[in-house]
Amino acid sequence: MSAPGEPPLAGEVAIRARALTRQYGGVTVVRGVDLALPAGSKTALLGANGAGKTTLLAMLAGLISPTSGSLEIAGYARGSAGLRRAVGVLGHKPMLYEDLSPLENLRFFARLYRVSDAEARIEALLRQVGLWLRRHERTAILSRGYHQRLALARVLIHDPAVVIADEPETGLDPEGVALLDDLALRRPGLTVLAATHRIDHIQSWASGIVRLDRGRVVEDTSSLTTALVAPEAARATPATPASSGASVSPETASATGEGAR
Amino acid sequence: MNQLLRRLEPLGWNVLPPVVGVAMTAMIVGALAAAPREIIEGEVQRLMYLHVPSAVIMYGAFGFTAFASVMLLWKRDMRWDAAARSAALVGVFLCSMVLLSGAIWGKPIWGVYWTWDARLTTTLILLLIYVAYLLARSVAGPLDEQAARYAAIFAIIGVVDIPIIQMSVRWWRTLHPQPIIFRPNPALPDEMLLVLLIGFIAVASLATWLIFLQWNTERAAQRVSALRAEVDHREMA
Amino acid sequence: MSPFLAVVEKDLRLAWRNRSGWASAAAFATIAVLTYSFAFDLATGDVRPLLPGVLWTTFLFAGVFAAGQSFQDEVEDGTFEAMRLAPIPATAIFAGKLTANLIALLIIEFAQLLLATILFDAGLFTPALLGIVLIGTIGYVSLTTLLSTMGGHVRGRSVLLPVLVLPLLVPLLIGAVRGTGAALGLEAGTAPWIVLLGVFTLWSTLGAFLLFPVAVER
Repeated sequence: MSAPGEPPLAGEVAIRARALTRQYGGVTVVRGVDLALPAGSKTALLGANGAGKTTLLAMLAGLISPTSGSLEIAGYARGSAGLRRAVGVLGHKPMLYEDLSPLENLRFFARLYRVSDAEARIEALLRQVGLWLRRHERTAILSRGYHQRLALARVLIHDPAVVIADEPETGLDPEGVALLDDLALRRPGLTVLAATHRIDHIQSWASGIVRLDRGRVVEDTSSLTTALVAPEAARATPATPASSGASVSPETASATGEGAR
Repeated sequence: MNQLLRRLEPLGWNVLPPVVGVAMTAMIVGALAAAPREIIEGEVQRLMYLHVPSAVIMYGAFGFTAFASVMLLWKRDMRWDAAARSAALVGVFLCSMVLLSGAIWGKPIWGVYWTWDARLTTTLILLLIYVAYLLARSVAGPLDEQAARYAAIFAIIGVVDIPIIQMSVRWWRTLHPQPIIFRPNPALPDEMLLVLLIGFIAVASLATWLIFLQWNTERAAQRVSALRAEVDHREMA
Repeated sequence: MSPFLAVVEKDLRLAWRNRSGWASAAAFATIAVLTYSFAFDLATGDVRPLLPGVLWTTFLFAGVFAAGQSFQDEVEDGTFEAMRLAPIPATAIFAGKLTANLIALLIIEFAQLLLATILFDAGLFTPALLGIVLIGTIGYVSLTTLLSTMGGHVRGRSVLLPVLVLPLLVPLLIGAVRGTGAALGLEAGTAPWIVLLGVFTLWSTLGAFLLFPVAVER
């Protein structure tokens, strides 16, 4: 019963959430989040520590199940193999086997995703992130920045339509950040939702923002949310004063309109 | 569940305590005074009125732990975790009572406190499994969902394992030549049967009451933990 | 190639890279066999009747010890989550880890059997005995793998795991020890013990496969 009446726009919504709620140890960490992010849009997820960003992202990625509410990514329902294939997750941790080499790590994940022509793709990615020459070393001895680059390659190995990232800039040097921009954050066609504290950086990539406060969406300039899930959003948004928008630049706000391709 | 609870909760506070009091008194009086002295075993046989009901109700408590564990995994409602823990704790208490009363009875009758008899061995393993369950659950806080699920899975494996343990231990003890211990099991006289029945009611109501009290304690601990988390959450946000 | 084989290969590769950890499990097992045979030799003239018990307690302890560690890093480095993100069924992950643990433990057990053959002068490499070892190992590895998988986040789990697993494994221990004894000609009739072992292994493996997807739900 997730979608009775969303006709033509449906194909263009990459990330859709309705009344997504998650309780953790008696605390409601995410409450009633509605999202409708267009395909190809780049959305920054903002909010203080403990605002529920990580939990929201983990739900969207399919790592934890919502207490209530529904979600859909690239048209696939929660828990489906299609959704898993459509999503790439760049997490807090690099999610890499420290005792395997970069090459072995990528080979393993390529096999899990049944990537066709894996060797060529792995080579291309390793070259792009600057690890081709170090492909046989143990991952454990790589620096934090290279871990993060390899993690980026892991995320992209199956060419996901949607990338969900939790503070992707962490540990990256300026060159690494540029790489992140090229390969993910600013890549045309890729839908990105990334939690971040780097306000200075979001202006270079985000087409809109979603701001969480204590598990609620208090600001949403990103998306079609208002158009598609208007009743809920209309109730949620004005309830909170717009005290939080100080750091968003006019460019970010104006970029919103072009979000839907 | 909410409505059922609201209806049952007053019974736990108002009805159960007097029932437990009356039934326990009746059992003690019945076992110590009213029931006739057993001819062969003597006074120590009076332990049976506690021992046998405890053993049966213990299985009920462990069964309820497994049921509540299934419900927790299914419904993701932490109240089922509190229920499972409480029943396991009371089950462990009953199990200890069974082993202890059995040992006290065993010394004069069998000449030893303990023997690797099939039923004794099974009961001891049962105690170990549910102590392990309580340990596994207690490594994390009252509202740790992951630890609760872990413990629930363990409780389910445990309960399925029980019949296999019983079967295996019985095979082991019977296929092996052992001095066979006779447990006299003639038809009980009516007075004894009546006291035994009272014993069942007493232990059952006691166990229910204890589980109820423990459940309330666990729920309170969960609420405290939730409040603490909420405070942390607010301070951080 | 299937995801299942990918997990098996990856886990075996990791086990090989972390062979120091597995080596200590094997060393523990070896020391245990040596200590048992020495200690029992002091007490009784004929140690051969004790052999089945020595072997199986050793196997179980080594198994519990080893199973825990294959999972510790997965949880700490977040790679377990990475696997759960992939479009593969949870049972494929479980089957892969189970198989890798099984292979590693069978290798350790094989070495123990060789050692025991020398120390106890017993003919251990008979089809019946190897069958019992294989069935019994599948039986306990399925449970230790399931329980170690779940306990990844728990503090003090290295102590907790044996406390949890060993009581559950009593039927397996009985079946395996008596079956081994029968296979060595210490008593008559292997069949009932193999049946018991088979029943236990069947349910523990089945139960582990059914419960694993539930266990990794968050």
